[in-house]
Amino acid sequence: MKRQFLKAGFAGLLISGFLSHAAWSQSDPTGKRRITNTYAITNATIFASPGQPGTKATILFREGVIIGMGPNLSLPKEAQRIAGDSLFIYPGFIDGASSAGITKPKDPERPKDFVSSNPPDEIAGITPWRSATDQFSITGNQVDDWRKAGFTISQVLPDGGMIPGKAAIMILGNSGSVNVIQENTALAANFSGARGMYPATAAGVIAKFRDVYHNTTLALDHSRLFASTSGVKRPEMTPTHTAMAAVVQGQIPVIFKAETDLEARRAIALQREFGFKLVLAGLDNYETVIDLIKSSGTAVLIKLQVPDDKAIKNQKSDSVTTATKAQYARVKEAYDKALKQASLLEKAGVPFGFSTLDAKPGDAMKALRTMIKNGLTEKTALAALTTNPATILGIGKMAGTIEKGKMANFVISTDSIFKEESQIKHVVVDGYIFDYEVKKKSVNGDGKTENEPAAIAGQWDYTSQTPAGSSGGELIIAKNGVKYTGTITYADPSGNGKVTAPIKNVSVSGKKLTFQFDVNAGGMSLTVDITGEITGNAMDGTMSVGQFGSFPLTAKLTTPSLTL
Amino acid sequence: MKSSTTQSTPTGEIMIQARFPVRIQAGMWPLKNNYKQMKKLNLILAALLGLGLNYSNAQTQKGNVLIKNATVLTVTKGNLENTDVLVQNGIIRQVGKNLSAPAGVETIDASGKYLMPGIIDAHSHVALDVVNEASSPITSEVRMKDVVNPFEIGIYRALAGGVTISHAMHGSANVVGGQNATLKHRWGAKDPSDIIMQDAPRTIKFALGENPTRVHGRGNGIQPRTRMGVEAVLRNGFNEAIQYKKGWETYNTAKGQKGNTKTPPVYNERLQTLADILDGKIIIHCHSYRADEIYMLINVAKDFAITKLVFQHTNEGFKVAPEIAQYTMGASVFADWWAYKMEVYYSTAFNAAILQRNGAITSINSDSAELIRHLYHEAAKTQRYGGLTDEEALAMITINPAKQLGIDDKVGSIEVGKQADLVIFEGHPLSSYTVPQMTFVDGVKYFDIKADPDDQRQFVSATEMVEPIFLHTHENHQCLQDVDAYFEAFQGAFIEEKH
Repeated sequence: MKRQFLKAGFAGLLISGFLSHAAWSQSDPTGKRRITNTYAITNATIFASPGQPGTKATILFREGVIIGMGPNLSLPKEAQRIAGDSLFIYPGFIDGASSAGITKPKDPERPKDFVSSNPPDEIAGITPWRSATDQFSITGNQVDDWRKAGFTISQVLPDGGMIPGKAAIMILGNSGSVNVIQENTALAANFSGARGMYPATAAGVIAKFRDVYHNTTLALDHSRLFASTSGVKRPEMTPTHTAMAAVVQGQIPVIFKAETDLEARRAIALQREFGFKLVLAGLDNYETVIDLIKSSGTAVLIKLQVPDDKAIKNQKSDSVTTATKAQYARVKEAYDKALKQASLLEKAGVPFGFSTLDAKPGDAMKALRTMIKNGLTEKTALAALTTNPATILGIGKMAGTIEKGKMANFVISTDSIFKEESQIKHVVVDGYIFDYEVKKKSVNGDGKTENEPAAIAGQWDYTSQTPAGSSGGELIIAKNGVKYTGTITYADPSGNGKVTAPIKNVSVSGKKLTFQFDVNAGGMSLTVDITGEITGNAMDGTMSVGQFGSFPLTAKLTTPSLTL
Repeated sequence: MKSSTTQSTPTGEIMIQARFPVRIQAGMWPLKNNYKQMKKLNLILAALLGLGLNYSNAQTQKGNVLIKNATVLTVTKGNLENTDVLVQNGIIRQVGKNLSAPAGVETIDASGKYLMPGIIDAHSHVALDVVNEASSPITSEVRMKDVVNPFEIGIYRALAGGVTISHAMHGSANVVGGQNATLKHRWGAKDPSDIIMQDAPRTIKFALGENPTRVHGRGNGIQPRTRMGVEAVLRNGFNEAIQYKKGWETYNTAKGQKGNTKTPPVYNERLQTLADILDGKIIIHCHSYRADEIYMLINVAKDFAITKLVFQHTNEGFKVAPEIAQYTMGASVFADWWAYKMEVYYSTAFNAAILQRNGAITSINSDSAELIRHLYHEAAKTQRYGGLTDEEALAMITINPAKQLGIDDKVGSIEVGKQADLVIFEGHPLSSYTVPQMTFVDGVKYFDIKADPDDQRQFVSATEMVEPIFLHTHENHQCLQDVDAYFEAFQGAFIEEKH
């Protein structure tokens, strides 16, 4: 008896890695098992799909599937009830192209006879056989952050060179589950060249793309001839050809990362040349190609980000010449135009989704609100987060709206989702409930909220995690009237020891602290942006270094300054 | 640009103007003047005819203008005093006296001013996002047309210097570089294909001497390490291309036959492009300095029966001028720029004149986003050094580069039937005091000194702060003191790619 029990527990443990918790029938040594997998959120305001008004109803789901929705549902005994009276429920957001949870695989070792003018595909960044599933971890970088921002499903792209591999659709659910919805959903491609070898530039990448595409077509022709005729020499399908076949045969699209209008045109030109299905991802500057996107029928996933307003804010009103003022005006004009792009895409009738590539999770909702302020309708904003990407990804049957039979993926907020004061309280993914802290309004009735600036002055110790490892230093912030000044120390990138640099543009809004400092690396000056959220004496944030990416950063206020 | 245009006639007939006209009678299709249906039908037809669905791309703009009373420097047909030039639909229709403007055609009074053909720069890197795919000794598969950037401010600066066409070349790192793009400076275009001169022939960059041997030989330890290696890369490349072409011919003949067991060869655009050169479909523009390497390439070309060959830079061209004249489409040179590296020490400002007087087609180029703004000055230097005539000097920046780019039947002189790329100068364009006034491409005015706002950028970043740029700050500097540093700074500001 005892032995059997142990065995079962062991089997349960084994299975837990692969199957959902429903398979468990015995004791749970991990303590992670849920009491029930049936939930009911009662009497909430439900926005079942974009454009539909909210209706008061109860929603019932089991094992990640919506099994009922309505005002008078009879709830089974095992359903855990969550009072939803003050809550607003939206379909879970879908990210059309993401790098969340992806870790770049190690570069393969170069062969002894390596020649940079003719490198093997694998080293030159042509790895269409790779799958994002092999690079994805549900506990990986930024998955939690994007889930917190409302994203429940994500098409993740593998990291790598010009053709890094195949995308996969993931559910951003429980870490104990297998979270792949669909593998090999698209071929990821971009215009980045390989470092120090062919193809090194966008021009080389485009030429190499043509080469790979043509030769896959020919290899397939060869294979067909081999299959139908005797006396034909055997085909030699390389891993590249085999993996490209699905694109050439029209089974899956190419998802091209294209940030600018020129990149979009280049991808569309290749699409026209070869006829593959095309999805553009990460569009940032696309105003001039909206007509082309429409006429070519290209699916688009625009970057979920709006340009930062630093250049606008730093414009000085006095002591500048008329010529500089005119230039300021053009930057302002460009900024205003950039904010309007999404609404122009809507006006053109292009059903777009979002991509979170290179975007910041913490700013997602702010970006959406800014787009809405600049003409995007709330209905289209929600569609771009739900139904549109579901269609582009081909998962409209299971996700995108709140309907009986669809996956239990919800964003649950404290108010109508796009309202400034609305906060996301829960995100339900695959029937798992993730809870988030909601900042309460203050009770003293003076209209002020907890959004009063946090006390930041004092001495902080910080630690940052970059691919180069963990590093840290001291951050000193002093309040100077209404302004903040200070210094930061960091490990000298060009040698040993620490460097101290002044910090600038310090701003505190509620619990959010942002500031910048300049790093001198090899004669090049880089601006480092720090954004963090302050809870008590701790700060949890990110450090973004130019185009090199964003990295986690934490800090502790070791010596709060008492003299403000 | 080859794109189809559709028109409907009152009878409900649809005309599709394409490579060949197709006329469809109303009765053939069950449609009335329903625009949507018609559009759909057009799309189907366009797809059938293989025209591509490039409907959103409007055809490039063509202008109408009458320029009155100018001193017309035709370059090929002499100078005409007090003469009018009528442009309609982008083409020069009439050159003569007392022409009157048809209804709706703007008239520009150019009394006392000079009108010359738009300046053509046979060597430039303006408006390219990528210049050098420097990773392999042969990169003939790479196309500059893939990376044209119509927003680059250099285009406008070139227009302000009267330049209407530039030859946007691949860099000089490789023995055989990428294919170049001939650009028409239609400033304001957003689609790169709108500034590519679609009716210009294909050209390709070659490079000899120090650059390819440094990058590949010394840099990567592969061929070519020496000038001998450069020649070997060329000969091996062409021989491989001959084999490649043969392989495809064999396969294509066998393919359709019953019981065929021949399989397709590996596609290789690199070799295909070299084969296209051998077939005379592409003009070679070869970066070269020394006489020995120039003569080497002439011999290689002769051995492979290549006739379409232009030398670029060609600083020692004066030593082999008769050979260049006899076997090639000439040389495109700097007016007086040398000694920036070892292979460019043996140079003379008389180079262009010597080449010209030996009968070589000779052009003066910029290879620089700065020099491109005053190529007329560069051309004038051939009068100071070599005493060329006005017409010879002007030909160096108009009809001669046009010949070298294979577009002299379309541009490069003021002649009836040619594309209306024109510049109006205040003062003779070879005078030190001349100032370009207006620049036209296809009869459309893209530069007017009287309507020239400070900020001409097509694209402005929303996130970048405006930083003032100072080219130099000292007003009281002594002449020529620190000129090197100044020149370097100047280059840094304008030039990305050094020759």
